[in-house]
Amino acid sequence: MNNLPRAEYRTVVVGGGIVGLFSAYHLARAGAGPILVLDRGFLSSGASGRNGGGVRQQWETRATVRLAREAVRDYRRFGREFGYNPWFRQTGYLFLAESADELARLRRVHDLVRSEGLASEVLAADALSRYVPGIAPGSAVGGTYLRSDGVLYPFPAIWGVYEAARALGVDLAFGVEVLGIDSEAGRVTGVRSSAGPVATTSVVNAAGGWSSDVARRAGLDVPNVATRHEILATEPLKPFLDPMVVRASDGLYFSQTVHGGLVGGLTLPHPAGTAAGLPSSAKFLTAMARALVGLLPRLRSLRVLRAWSGFYDDTPDGLPVIGEDPRLGGFVHANGFGGHGFMLAPAATRRVARAVLGERTDLEPELFAPDRFLAPRLPSTAERLLLG
Amino acid sequence: MAGAPTRRFRYRGRVVEAREGETLLAAIARDALPTLERSTRYHRPRAPFCGIGQCTGCLVRVNDEPLVRACRYHPGEDDRVENGPGWPSVRWDALVVLDLIFRRGLDPFRGFRRPAVAGPIYQRLVRRLAGYGAPAPVSGRATEAVPPVVRSAEVVVVGGGESCRATAARLVTLGYRPLVLDRDRRPGLVGADWLGGVSVTLLGPRVDEGAELPFRLLGHAETGAGLSVRARSVVVATGGYDASLLFGGNDRPGVLTADAALAFSSAPERAPFGQALLVGGDRRAEEVLARLGSRVAAVIAVGEVRPEVVRAASDLGIPLYPRSLLLGVIGRTRVRGLRLRTRGGGPRFSLAGDAVVLAHRRIPNAPLLFLAGAEMAWHAGPGAYYPVLDAAGTTSVPGLYAVGTVTGTLEPARREGAERAAFAIAGRAASDSEALPRVRAEGPSELEGYYRELLTEPRRGRWIACRCEDVLLHDLETANRGGYRGLEVVKRYTSLGTGLCQGRYCTPDALLILSVLEGRPPSEVGRIRQRPPVYPMPLGTLAELDDSVAGEVG
Repeated sequence: MNNLPRAEYRTVVVGGGIVGLFSAYHLARAGAGPILVLDRGFLSSGASGRNGGGVRQQWETRATVRLAREAVRDYRRFGREFGYNPWFRQTGYLFLAESADELARLRRVHDLVRSEGLASEVLAADALSRYVPGIAPGSAVGGTYLRSDGVLYPFPAIWGVYEAARALGVDLAFGVEVLGIDSEAGRVTGVRSSAGPVATTSVVNAAGGWSSDVARRAGLDVPNVATRHEILATEPLKPFLDPMVVRASDGLYFSQTVHGGLVGGLTLPHPAGTAAGLPSSAKFLTAMARALVGLLPRLRSLRVLRAWSGFYDDTPDGLPVIGEDPRLGGFVHANGFGGHGFMLAPAATRRVARAVLGERTDLEPELFAPDRFLAPRLPSTAERLLLG
Repeated sequence: MAGAPTRRFRYRGRVVEAREGETLLAAIARDALPTLERSTRYHRPRAPFCGIGQCTGCLVRVNDEPLVRACRYHPGEDDRVENGPGWPSVRWDALVVLDLIFRRGLDPFRGFRRPAVAGPIYQRLVRRLAGYGAPAPVSGRATEAVPPVVRSAEVVVVGGGESCRATAARLVTLGYRPLVLDRDRRPGLVGADWLGGVSVTLLGPRVDEGAELPFRLLGHAETGAGLSVRARSVVVATGGYDASLLFGGNDRPGVLTADAALAFSSAPERAPFGQALLVGGDRRAEEVLARLGSRVAAVIAVGEVRPEVVRAASDLGIPLYPRSLLLGVIGRTRVRGLRLRTRGGGPRFSLAGDAVVLAHRRIPNAPLLFLAGAEMAWHAGPGAYYPVLDAAGTTSVPGLYAVGTVTGTLEPARREGAERAAFAIAGRAASDSEALPRVRAEGPSELEGYYRELLTEPRRGRWIACRCEDVLLHDLETANRGGYRGLEVVKRYTSLGTGLCQGRYCTPDALLILSVLEGRPPSEVGRIRQRPPVYPMPLGTLAELDDSVAGEVG
């Protein structure tokens, strides 16, 4: 017996973040129920409720550009489809380059993005202040800008998919930890959870920062690594900044919400893994403040309201893992999104649902399939434009 | 005081004088409580509420710098002070139509979806109206770089009130020279290093455990200087603050906490009200009566009234209304009275008054303890989380002590508690000392029953659950009906507790309301995880602090 609505499900999705919810939603729409979503925390407690809300289509790999372009279309019509307005604001992503080398790299991204039909622009140093009013002179040598990129509020997006999945009959259980995944003859047979066991023939691992833990509970070794990233929000100012601004050198990124507060982060080297929990560090607050004030000196008196942190789910090649694990039938990966689960979820999870149903997807297996890490050599293609 | 130096500044174009040591708020609130800004969603008039620099009731612009707390700011000569947001002005704000049109509330996440083509227009419109003013020019007053204060100390005491003084005084007699960090500017203590006007916003031992000086405190002074302190032991004596209460029109100018009311009491004849309706029947109400007696028109209590309060009120000839439900404020732009009902289905009645002073519940000011990772436990009596302590006042974090109001220790044992902490730091803790009497931990909270009864009453006007973000009681009920449960989830669903006070004034009552709505005890509804900094901290100040020392919180 268990404390869950049923004893048997066709699919159990592990992780009730945006990737797990969207996966369950697409599966339910395909009529592949009954479906159960399990999450160890509360709704929105993971990275889906902790990110900066950026949605961009500027990437180094063509496949990611295409997924992101599809996701942007999904978020544009999200309000009509899901009944919640995530205030998806397409006012662009601006990548800043601090050196000629960085600018050359951004130009390569720009060429790729343009070849996919997106109107990316290269900006000269003197054009930057049009997009970032008050930017300190000399702080960047140029940048790239794509207006159809944007930012959204993550929470209403979560509520929308959560309610849509529920309306389609998906069962969701929060505060329930997956303890083990049972298999027989190389196929998934059930999930043991803190709320009791359930029988199932397919499991979707959408556990974000905890995805390697979940894989391990199925007896699978995966190269995913959880890394902690910190973020802060400030008091609300009158909106003066339209785009999301990203600086490649230190991973600084920030945007101004509809509300007026700045939300942003910066990359610091933290020990890998989820064991240390999600504290905030003094180092982040001071480093982030220095970076922001250095770039926009007039923000000196703006106050930090709060800081928090969340886990990226990183893979060795910077690309997500989507597809059935060759070692365990019925165990489908929907993880390794780094810090970009929210950006890619609506599009990527269509492929997750197809993978669960045993259908072919349009994803290049050498880029996304879990098999790629089983080969003796690491994959040759990698995505390295990972911050912001 | 004749001859006291004054400063002349301009408030909305006219010259105002502030005496030495007087805050901007005291200087501009001589005759009446001013409406200084409009609320974020419904553009309702807002006036000072908390009086201690935490709420969104007195945010003004000083020399073009937005978001200055008038109750904390000491005006300088020739300052230019303007009201906070309001369009075209705070007094006449055309957008108050939003308040009149959307009577049942305005849902930012389920609304504004149609027609789809209007999305960008809605976004531009909302952005046009959002925020508290443009970033200040680089030459603004508080923007100058001030070198940070960097200290190391054997013992740091955070506080400044009576228990802080008692601990510090005992430490001095034990041969220590404690460093006291006081958010206010109170007189110092011989033998102690006393820094007044500094806010400690971050306290963390996480990374430095085992180090010689394991604690790291960050903060800032009112001058904008940063503060970085390392310490071997830390005593948290941060006291308490007066909670809010939910009733119709509870955000109306004139509704204020006892903290705010008492901030005017150094000169009660100039308090910006003359007929206060005092809410509370306990020690805090007694204190307000003692200091503002002639300005109180009636004493209203949500529960029983202590004999001392009964006596004080009858001495002053002030009527008492124990066991009353507060239904709503009378008055459209400011408080003119209160509508009430005696509990248990008693008669409805109303009282006239020009202010509602909330002294019904004093709750611990405990964010630093949460941040430092001290174990906290729900105490049902006042309905708040207090630190888990041993008899010597040690928290679950070795080297971290708590004394005074923040611990819930009852008078007259607080002094004893303060001294015990000092002895424990000196390694002279008596091993057999008994635990001191503290606020009640078990049973139902007094206010739970109150709210259960209140929620069955018909409602008029807006009931503001979160003042900073204009979240309504109705929004909490909508979240509950949608299946969103637990304070953390409801916070994210409604934006409650995400504003400038970081949940100080909304979560204590929201917790009890949700407990009633969800049908489970408040401790199961949970709490919002405390985030750093405890007080909003300027980027410029943080940027000056060195980051060579580790330290993690939360």
